[in-house]
Amino acid sequence: MDLECATSSTDRILVTGSNGFVGVKVVETLLEYGFANLRCFVRPSSQLERLKKVLDRHPAGINVELFSGDLLSPGDCREAAEGISIIYHLAAGFDKSFAGAFMNSALATRNLMDGFLQHGQPKRFVNVSSFAVYSNLKLKRGALLDESSPLEEAPQERYDAYAFGKLKQEALVKDYGDRYRLPYVILRPGTIFGPGQRGLSGRVGIDTFGFFLHVGGSNILPLTFVDNCAEAIVLAGLKPGIDGEIFNIVDDETLTSSQFFRAYKKRVKPFFSVRVPYFVAHGLCFLWEKYSHWSKGQLPPAFNRRRCAAEWKGNRFSNQKIQQQLGWKPRVDIQTAMASFLEQSDPNRT
Amino acid sequence: MLRVAIVGCGKIADQHVQAIRRIADCRIAAVCDREPLMASQLGERFGISNCFSDLQEMLDATSPDVVHITTPPQSHFPLASQCLKSGAHVYVEKPFTITAEDADSLIHFADACALKITVGHNYQFTQEMLEMRRLVEQGFLGGKAVHLESHFSYDLGDASYVGPLLGSRTHWVRQLPGQLLHNVVSHGISRLTEFLDDDLTDIVARAHQSTQLRNLGGEEILDELRVLIRDKSGTTALFCFSTQIKPGLNQFRICGPRNSIVVDQACGSLIRNENRSYKSYLTFLVPPLQNAREHLRNARLNIANFAGRKLYHDFGVAELISRFYQSIRLTAPPPIPYRQIVLTARIMDHIFAQIYGKNPVSRPDEFECCVT
Repeated sequence: MDLECATSSTDRILVTGSNGFVGVKVVETLLEYGFANLRCFVRPSSQLERLKKVLDRHPAGINVELFSGDLLSPGDCREAAEGISIIYHLAAGFDKSFAGAFMNSALATRNLMDGFLQHGQPKRFVNVSSFAVYSNLKLKRGALLDESSPLEEAPQERYDAYAFGKLKQEALVKDYGDRYRLPYVILRPGTIFGPGQRGLSGRVGIDTFGFFLHVGGSNILPLTFVDNCAEAIVLAGLKPGIDGEIFNIVDDETLTSSQFFRAYKKRVKPFFSVRVPYFVAHGLCFLWEKYSHWSKGQLPPAFNRRRCAAEWKGNRFSNQKIQQQLGWKPRVDIQTAMASFLEQSDPNRT
Repeated sequence: MLRVAIVGCGKIADQHVQAIRRIADCRIAAVCDREPLMASQLGERFGISNCFSDLQEMLDATSPDVVHITTPPQSHFPLASQCLKSGAHVYVEKPFTITAEDADSLIHFADACALKITVGHNYQFTQEMLEMRRLVEQGFLGGKAVHLESHFSYDLGDASYVGPLLGSRTHWVRQLPGQLLHNVVSHGISRLTEFLDDDLTDIVARAHQSTQLRNLGGEEILDELRVLIRDKSGTTALFCFSTQIKPGLNQFRICGPRNSIVVDQACGSLIRNENRSYKSYLTFLVPPLQNAREHLRNARLNIANFAGRKLYHDFGVAELISRFYQSIRLTAPPPIPYRQIVLTARIMDHIFAQIYGKNPVSRPDEFECCVT
């Protein structure tokens, strides 16, 4: 690919979360772009089949270094960042507790940035965040949600430990950018889907009560296919002149929740579901929230108006900024992406 | 008004903060963590402005009445000693200390300072366990317990806990003498110690690694444990810890010379088994109906507790903390007798010595041993 780069192909690149759903694709894309001087940060307990398959497919994969460590260990982070020019930080914690999410997202990132500043040759720190950091509480249904939209102010009220961790992570990255001149880019992917990820997004609905409640309805899903998303992430590390920028990652063509759900049920498995309109979901979440408060947490506030809005209110999404500034264009169209996603779970697949 | 401080702002600290906020006449005055970011995230979420990264600095600046220690177990002994020295009562998360010797020393030190100390065996204070204790005190068993059984399960599917543990050999759980077991079995063992004498004549422990853990890359970690115990007066006890039994068990059975009780903490129920004899086929008809009546009674109680906002997840934690604070205010005995804390630690010492011996990285089969 003809690419104007802020780095050369001989610069050393570190990818955290490299054995994950998106991380593997990021490594693959980097190899395709000719960046073979890679160090992949993996957990000691990780089953590395997925990553090793990718490395085996590419001739340059043989030179890729696997670094086994713990991001919560400053020592491991220092060692991993030794001589590194670009870090793609994809490792994410999905701990349900707020403290756990904070540790895995914010503390781990702080350790990595410290290591990078002390022992690396920092050209770019690419921090992969999430759409979860946004709050659409004050946006109308159908309003545009983009990089300028407000961030969640009360992740605890939303009972969203993941969002809390990601918000704190982003704040730390921005702080390091301001205080230590760490060149960074923050990416906020929407709903990433593709082979390797089988479940339905919470934006479609929930199965908490033993059957599926389809709440998403005609909402547009902020979908991004894993290959497209990985390419956007890679570009964010290479493109010059975008330090300090934040980009949402959403594909050009997306589907509504109903379209996605119908296709899923048709191809993967038929199952019982109940369609719940947004205003009903909002009312039920309001009651749940009130009961949780009145009962002093006898039921945790797992359903509340903030979460309801974030998941099911329905907004429009734009990828204008990332297209303009990174020159990114989703390489896989939605039909091919859906076929690839659904095929993995197809019971008739041979 | 008791002024409370929390040392260690990890996952379990949230549970403590939430429980303390349910209790009247106390407030959280400060939080402390060696990692300043951890202290500030807890303080920010719960509106606690005094956040410290140095324990002595916190003790000097805020002089708390009680300190909750929610750090990894390796630090319990030194941190608790430091808090006692500064004049604070101490609530220590389980396991109390690494060894029985440390447990004994810490309790003696608390006594010498005229301060109170307790351990977070909160499962002892759930509604059904409180009812069990009432029945035992009323003489339902008909005498001293003849036999006890404690079953405790842990689900390896919870990746948020097992993942980091398996991911790093330096994880604090891996550094404990009893590793994974050390961090979780004290709940199940403490239920037994309430009804066992201090003089134990037998402790036989067997442990192995489950196939699931082996497949997860558990290396030297053991996760299936069975223990038989007998005290000098002849009361026997069985302890079973498993990551594999499904549905997960969290049960306590206490059998007396007349009647028995089964407490199921997984579903908050208590079954009274009364020794009655029935003629002929009534043996097969009446007892099941009596059991059905017991289950219905439990369902009714749980519904009433739910309606009364008393069925919350952390009831046991709040109850234990509340009783501990009450013992401080009234200068009454602490909610968990010190004898039980030390006996729990002694039994754990014996178990880990037997199952890990001197070579904790051998194959699981080689850990099997029998010491009587």
